[in-house]
Amino acid sequence: MADLEQLAELLDEAARTAQAVAQISDTAALTPVEAYKVQALSLARRYARGERRIGVKMGLTSRAKMAQVGVDDVTWGRLTDAMRVEDGGKIGRAAYVHPRVEPEIAFLMKAPLAGAVSAMEALAAVEAVAPALEIIDSRYRDFKFDLGDVIADNSSSSGFVIGPPSAPGTDIANLGIVLTVDGRVAETGSSAAILGHPLRALVAAARMVAQAGEELRPGDIVLAGAATAAVPVAPGQRIELQVQTLGTVALSVGD
Amino acid sequence: MDRAKIEEAADRLWTAARSGIPCAPVRDLIGADDVEAAYAVQEINTRRLLGDEERVLSGRKIGLTAKSVQAQLGVDQPDFGMLFDDMEVLDGEEIAWDRCHQPKVEAEVAFVMAAPLSGGHIQMVDLLASIGFVLPAIEIVGSRIAGWDIRLADTIADNASSGLYVLGQTPRRTGDFDPRLCGMVLTKNGEPVSTGAGAACMGSPLNATLWLARTMAKAGQPLGPGDVVLSGALGPMVDAAPGDVFEARINGLGSVRAAFGKI
Repeated sequence: MADLEQLAELLDEAARTAQAVAQISDTAALTPVEAYKVQALSLARRYARGERRIGVKMGLTSRAKMAQVGVDDVTWGRLTDAMRVEDGGKIGRAAYVHPRVEPEIAFLMKAPLAGAVSAMEALAAVEAVAPALEIIDSRYRDFKFDLGDVIADNSSSSGFVIGPPSAPGTDIANLGIVLTVDGRVAETGSSAAILGHPLRALVAAARMVAQAGEELRPGDIVLAGAATAAVPVAPGQRIELQVQTLGTVALSVGD
Repeated sequence: MDRAKIEEAADRLWTAARSGIPCAPVRDLIGADDVEAAYAVQEINTRRLLGDEERVLSGRKIGLTAKSVQAQLGVDQPDFGMLFDDMEVLDGEEIAWDRCHQPKVEAEVAFVMAAPLSGGHIQMVDLLASIGFVLPAIEIVGSRIAGWDIRLADTIADNASSGLYVLGQTPRRTGDFDPRLCGMVLTKNGEPVSTGAGAACMGSPLNATLWLARTMAKAGQPLGPGDVVLSGALGPMVDAAPGDVFEARINGLGSVRAAFGKI
């Protein structure tokens, strides 16, 4: 078995310095269990530098992406306070290896949630829903990875922007999604692309964090997963997401 | 235009449609990008259907409304085809497989006209004022051309790859839904297989429909009361196989189903 602590350091340094690294699977593929250990160890290094976990993100939440990676379950990663970008705020391109942006739906939790729950119980723990942009940035060369690679790399998560909150009872099953870059439509889709209904991603999040001995806590943010393909970003761009009923969230890209 | 070649192209597509045996593309006869010749081919077969076959026009369909599809075919405009009365299938009604020609499924917004739209200066407000109601729709496109080996002229000549269509049964007013931001999900046998939003169709299905209204008015065949307009796909089209059941849901418009019979 590979030295998991060493791999955690490798990926943490890659993220911290925005330098791409070779795929771990080039040497020896990680099992999902090993990969989640690497992720946890890598995040522990961030916590040691003063970052706080403030939520989780779900990955591979569309059938197309699961098929692409050859799996039939979702993945998850951890969000820290250092990854939060203000709505309308600016990110620096240089802080990332090869950043892309994805349109998402976010949940804000008001009650603890962990383990096997129904969608109804999950919704009862939600304070608000909001449109969100996730900045994903694989730390691997050419944005290529296998399942173990991407899990170890915190499911490619590297930043997020949350838009205005709506009531938890808002119907989010099939909301139209329009992602624009500099005012021009780059991607269109529906929230239904997220496992058929974004609440299913929250149910999965509760199940998966419990497997790691953690829980979703009041105040936590859960990013439910991408509603369209990811869009590469470049300096000078302004990226805006419009979600039917929920409203708008935006960020701009600096050098 | 070489009239003989246009007629030969029309005959080739007509024979394929009648026999159910797909044919070779017609671009060898009329060129791959000659839009005028391609519509001339389409018109020959339209006249046949309206004449000898006594079919009735029920509306029009707009194709090539997605940026990605336009890019594939190297165009920056949509195209149109004719809808006939016998192309309508009822919501959930079993569709005999032999009525289909290499079918693919798309979820669309259907506008049903309440007033004529003619003249040379049709504006968006004229369109909005002449729409009677709006329905969710599934278009079952088809190609008479083997393997969907189509270029621009092939699809236009082939009635814009029209096939069958299913309309939902919940009429709404144009103001009751968000044409640009309405979410769309198309499920196949219960699984989401295509998702999208109104903006995928030329920014809004109303933009596509205004293009059609102007184009038809210019051609002297204006849209009129009762005409159904299938305005273009809101997400990627999906292959259909015998036995498949599709459901399209468009946020604010309701849902509609297409069920394919087994062989």
